[in-house]
Amino acid sequence: MGLKRIQFLGAICRFCSVLFVTYGVTEFGDLVQIKKQLISVISLCKERGLVHSVKWASELAFALDPLPKDELPPSHLVSEEDVQDLDAFALAKSYFDLKEYDRAAYFLRGCHSKKAYFLYMYSRYLSGEKKKDDETVDSLGPLEKGQVRNEALRELRVELSKKHRAGELDGFTLYLYGVVLRKLDLLKEAVEVFVEATHTLPLHWGSWLELCNLVTNIEMLKSLSLPSCWIKDFFMAHIYTELQMIPGALQKYQSLIEAGFSKSTYIISQIAVAYHNIRDIDQALALFNELREQDPYRIENMDTFSNLLYVKSMKPELSYLAHNLVEIDKYRVETCCVIGNYYSLRSQHEKAALYFQRALKLNPRCLGAWTLMGHEYMEMKNTSAAIQAYRHAIEVNKRDYRAWYGLGQTYEILKMPFYCLYYYRKAHQLRPNDSRMLVALGECYEKLSQQVEAKKCYWRAFSVGDVEKMALLKLAKLQEQLTETDEAAQSYIIYIQEIFSCGEQLEHVEVSTALRYLGQYYFKNKLYDEASLCAQRCCDYNDAREEGKALLRQISQVRDQTETPSGELFVSLSDNNTPIKRVSPLNLSSFTP
Amino acid sequence: MASVHESLYFNPMMTNGVVHANVFGIKDWVTPYKISVLSLLYEMTTSKIALQEKRRLNKLILPLQQGPDLQLGQFLKTVEDCCPQTAFAVKIRLNEMADGELKDMEFFFTTLPNPTFDSEAYKTSVVGLFIRHMLLAYNKLSFSQVYKLYKSLQHYYHMGVPTFVADDSDMDLTSTEVTIGDKMERELDSPLTFCVRNEDPVSRGPLSQKQAEYFLAKQAYLLKNDDNKALRPAKLQEELNNMLKFNPDFAEAHYLNYLNSMRVQDIYISTHSLLHYFDRLILSGSEGKSNGDEGYGRSLRYAALNLASLHCRFGHYQLADLALQEAIRIAQESNDHVCLQHCLSWLYTLEQMKGSDSSVLTEDSVKMAAHFCLPYLASLGIQSLVQQGAVQGKSAHELMDALKDTDILHWKHSLSELIEISLAQTISIWRMYGKSTMAQQQAQLLLNMSSLEPVNFGVTQNNTEAFAVALCHLAELHAEQGLYGGTTEIFKHLKEQFPPHTQHAKLWMLCDLKIQFEKHMNDGKYHLAQPLVPAIRAQNKTEGLYRKAQVLKSLSRTTEAYRILQKLQVHCEKTRCTETIIRVLLSTAELHWESSDFSTGLPLLLQALTLSRKHHLQALASRTLLHLAFTQLMLGVPEQALSVLHEALEPILAHGGIMDKGRALMLAARCQMALVATRPNGREQAAVAIHTLDEAASYFSTLNCKERLRDVRYLQARLHSSLGQTAQRNRCAMLFHLLDRELQTPRAPTDMRL
Repeated sequence: MGLKRIQFLGAICRFCSVLFVTYGVTEFGDLVQIKKQLISVISLCKERGLVHSVKWASELAFALDPLPKDELPPSHLVSEEDVQDLDAFALAKSYFDLKEYDRAAYFLRGCHSKKAYFLYMYSRYLSGEKKKDDETVDSLGPLEKGQVRNEALRELRVELSKKHRAGELDGFTLYLYGVVLRKLDLLKEAVEVFVEATHTLPLHWGSWLELCNLVTNIEMLKSLSLPSCWIKDFFMAHIYTELQMIPGALQKYQSLIEAGFSKSTYIISQIAVAYHNIRDIDQALALFNELREQDPYRIENMDTFSNLLYVKSMKPELSYLAHNLVEIDKYRVETCCVIGNYYSLRSQHEKAALYFQRALKLNPRCLGAWTLMGHEYMEMKNTSAAIQAYRHAIEVNKRDYRAWYGLGQTYEILKMPFYCLYYYRKAHQLRPNDSRMLVALGECYEKLSQQVEAKKCYWRAFSVGDVEKMALLKLAKLQEQLTETDEAAQSYIIYIQEIFSCGEQLEHVEVSTALRYLGQYYFKNKLYDEASLCAQRCCDYNDAREEGKALLRQISQVRDQTETPSGELFVSLSDNNTPIKRVSPLNLSSFTP
Repeated sequence: MASVHESLYFNPMMTNGVVHANVFGIKDWVTPYKISVLSLLYEMTTSKIALQEKRRLNKLILPLQQGPDLQLGQFLKTVEDCCPQTAFAVKIRLNEMADGELKDMEFFFTTLPNPTFDSEAYKTSVVGLFIRHMLLAYNKLSFSQVYKLYKSLQHYYHMGVPTFVADDSDMDLTSTEVTIGDKMERELDSPLTFCVRNEDPVSRGPLSQKQAEYFLAKQAYLLKNDDNKALRPAKLQEELNNMLKFNPDFAEAHYLNYLNSMRVQDIYISTHSLLHYFDRLILSGSEGKSNGDEGYGRSLRYAALNLASLHCRFGHYQLADLALQEAIRIAQESNDHVCLQHCLSWLYTLEQMKGSDSSVLTEDSVKMAAHFCLPYLASLGIQSLVQQGAVQGKSAHELMDALKDTDILHWKHSLSELIEISLAQTISIWRMYGKSTMAQQQAQLLLNMSSLEPVNFGVTQNNTEAFAVALCHLAELHAEQGLYGGTTEIFKHLKEQFPPHTQHAKLWMLCDLKIQFEKHMNDGKYHLAQPLVPAIRAQNKTEGLYRKAQVLKSLSRTTEAYRILQKLQVHCEKTRCTETIIRVLLSTAELHWESSDFSTGLPLLLQALTLSRKHHLQALASRTLLHLAFTQLMLGVPEQALSVLHEALEPILAHGGIMDKGRALMLAARCQMALVATRPNGREQAAVAIHTLDEAASYFSTLNCKERLRDVRYLQARLHSSLGQTAQRNRCAMLFHLLDRELQTPRAPTDMRL
């Protein structure tokens, strides 16, 4: 049943966004109801100390219109047990808020209400986690480092699994049980429990988020039977982003916005991140700027924002962002990453690496920082440290294509093109439609004189949408080397078209190379009109001016000699289905800069 | 996005790999085991021990101190074997600490003898250094670390001594020494109780650094020398995963992972682990070493080289070639001649595998290796040259000389692996030349030779390729002599030693198939031989084709057989596989016989003879002579035939297989029969022929080759008849009749086959 539903959804999001809106209307029609649900879940989570879920729900609730006074949801039903445990719970909750978990657990041990039971177990779990992190500092030797474990996990698992079998767990405890299982690396069981948790209490975002981290591919996602609730759309959008299925994610978010969540900063940030992932930099930047206007003291996702600024080399903006964030909170991972990016842009790589290290001290599982640190070490030509950093990143997340790509680059710098093929291939597997990996692969193959493979890579890079506009040029040069003149000419033509059509002036040198080649090519094929056009264009560029002029002279010489119009020849040639005809060089005039 | 809990609370002191990186330099940490060793040392310095026992303990100190961490039970047992009294004292001391309080441990460390100049533990002695190291390490510990150490000591003690003083934990130990002592003695009477738990050291969760190193070293050794004794691949993988989970920086584990996945032919994981290992190695190589850059670049070169060998192993020659080129380039850039030499030797191996001639490369490699004093590579190159030389028909004495020279080198440098290869090569060469006795003798030599390598972990190195080759030859030699029982035994052993999934298993698989095939062909059970052909072909294409032709020939599908043989001949001439060419020529000649076209076969046979003589292939030469003699007999010149045959008879009887012997003798008898009429002493000749046939019959009956036996009986009957010996004639005729009935197939005309 659930499976079918998901497939249905998938079909919708693939083919028709119109349907989507209607679907959205039916689901989200009652925004008031949603708001009510959110308000009630906020108070539930708050009681249980699930701060992140509270934050998420509150952000969403804030985005919706406020409710009139009489429509506010009534406070929860208080059961007999709750009343009994009231004092102990209040006491324990205060200790819990002060991070004295053992103490909280101690006072909750006799309580019977579900709420108290959750807090009791949760305190024990957090106490174990806290101790684990503290122990790491005091380990007795290098090997002990990895052995530090949350000792409470086993006991918790035993107790919770007993209750689970008896069916006594509510949504929150199921969630906790799932977390415990995940921490014990029992991933399969964890997924089952989280799915159950979402069924019992669909409004708790934490369960969905945990599920998100555990689902590794689309097939697995399809096999889950999830409750149908409006929150599921948020989940689907989130997981599409995680699984790099950006178009699907964007569509989902769009429909959510249309359904009435347009003010949600959460959605805006997610869309921005999604755009960042598909490298639509301008869109992402615009969204981030909007986000900062709405939520000026936000620190989350600002590292992504800084990455974008970095890519665009927007020094003043990045500097402003860095200073702003330092004022807000300098001991945050995101802040450190932003500062690292800032220093990196200023080519102060040592300092940049230092800040990334600081970020890692704050959170060793921060993936981006490892990769960025690798990049910094690369800049400093410290290849071994770079390899270390990238390897760490891969350890944290095997699917981090940037780290694989970075490793490939490192070995490429060490002049080991064959060796780095493996890493590039890995990166390419993870991002099959990213032209950068393909270009890198092509370059490696070219170095290994595997021209056929290299050509394939370049062509594929072009067909998936070349970001750096280099693939075609490289392809053309390769074909030139292999004396495949017609193919090379065609590649150059497409290259020039691409360059002019994207409106920006990238590198003149390369355009002039293409024009120079085309000029010679047409000249050799006796297409003097086209040749002279190319030669004239050549004269626009400094480095090709002389050659352009020389070619023009040659052409006029030849024309003087023959005195025959080349019209017939041209027609006969163009009928031969040569690739030249496909794109008439005269089209160039329309792209004149 | 980090999980919700990771960022729940903020802890600026939280550490990670980066912060811990400098910690890795320190190897000496106080562990519970080390405390036990310390208490042993303490006991040894303070109490009076008999000289004999003291000596034994002294001998024990070094291994205990430098070895991996032991379980308490094992430790106490080792000490107890030397001196029970000290073991007892050590145990009491540990008990005091473990069942006492933290202050007992602290007290112990304060009472430790401070090594000075006059004390027994001299300041700079091994023991003195150890104690000082430990004291230093202990004093460095923070409060919580000390507490943790104490906890782990308690755990360690109770793991080793499970049942002890569970009931009276609050007893004052010092005052009630007597009762405790009694208990102790009781405990010590049954020392087995210590070791009962945790027999299997690997299943017990995290290992200490030393233990992990020991585990890796042991498994790697076993994988190299006898992977049947190592953990099963899946189990080993599990252990390694476990180890890597606890310490991802343990690079060697990745390497072992690589070896392990090679074992099960998993290219993905093995590539991944290999690269991971080298990525890690590059880190450790660059850290701490003064010549960091050198070590770092070096591992890069060898990384590329190892990748090449990996691809080579999986038969991806093109990829291997690319990787090798890369290794060569980097090595050249950094002037690393040793690495270049390794690359060169891989290069010629690769060329050889691709099937092209690489003798020039090999020679270069040998010269360079000798120049750079790399005996291993040099003699490996020579061995490779010898192999190529043997195939190309270099003179035997040159090859043998070369092998002898390298042998001297091997013994000088104790390169036991190469000695084995050299012996195996000698076996193969002798076999190729057709000297079965020599081959057999060399095979026995290899199999009975005790390895030069020290025997570690109770494993002698006997699952190398050399052993497989020797055993296969031995099996074939046995089969040739019709000793199928022995062959079966050998294969049983091979199956145990080289299970089907291992690298060298293909050797014996092919060998086994070939022997089975021969057996069925000899028995005339072609329908049984036929299904083996595809199997052989899967292992070796040329061999498979040849066998197919043989089966087709036997089934009288002459045209097909002829076509295959022609194809095969062209192919073998291209690959210069002389032995097969000769065999193909012989088979082609036999095909001509089938159509009674004896003279056409002659040039082929002569060509085969020249080839086999040129390559010193005695067995094949003799067989060719046999064919020639038969042709001559058929062409009506039995005298010539007999003289040719006499040339071949001696080597065949000396070295040949039992089948060849029988065939030669039968042919000789037939020649003699043909001569009976012409010779004056006809009757004597006939009698000689009968005798020869008897001998042939005995050979054929060992092989249980009934068809030929039937022929022999027929001939004998006719001879007896011509001599007028009716009784014998009738007996032979009866035997013939019995065989004929049994075989059911109509008898092929005797004249037409050898």
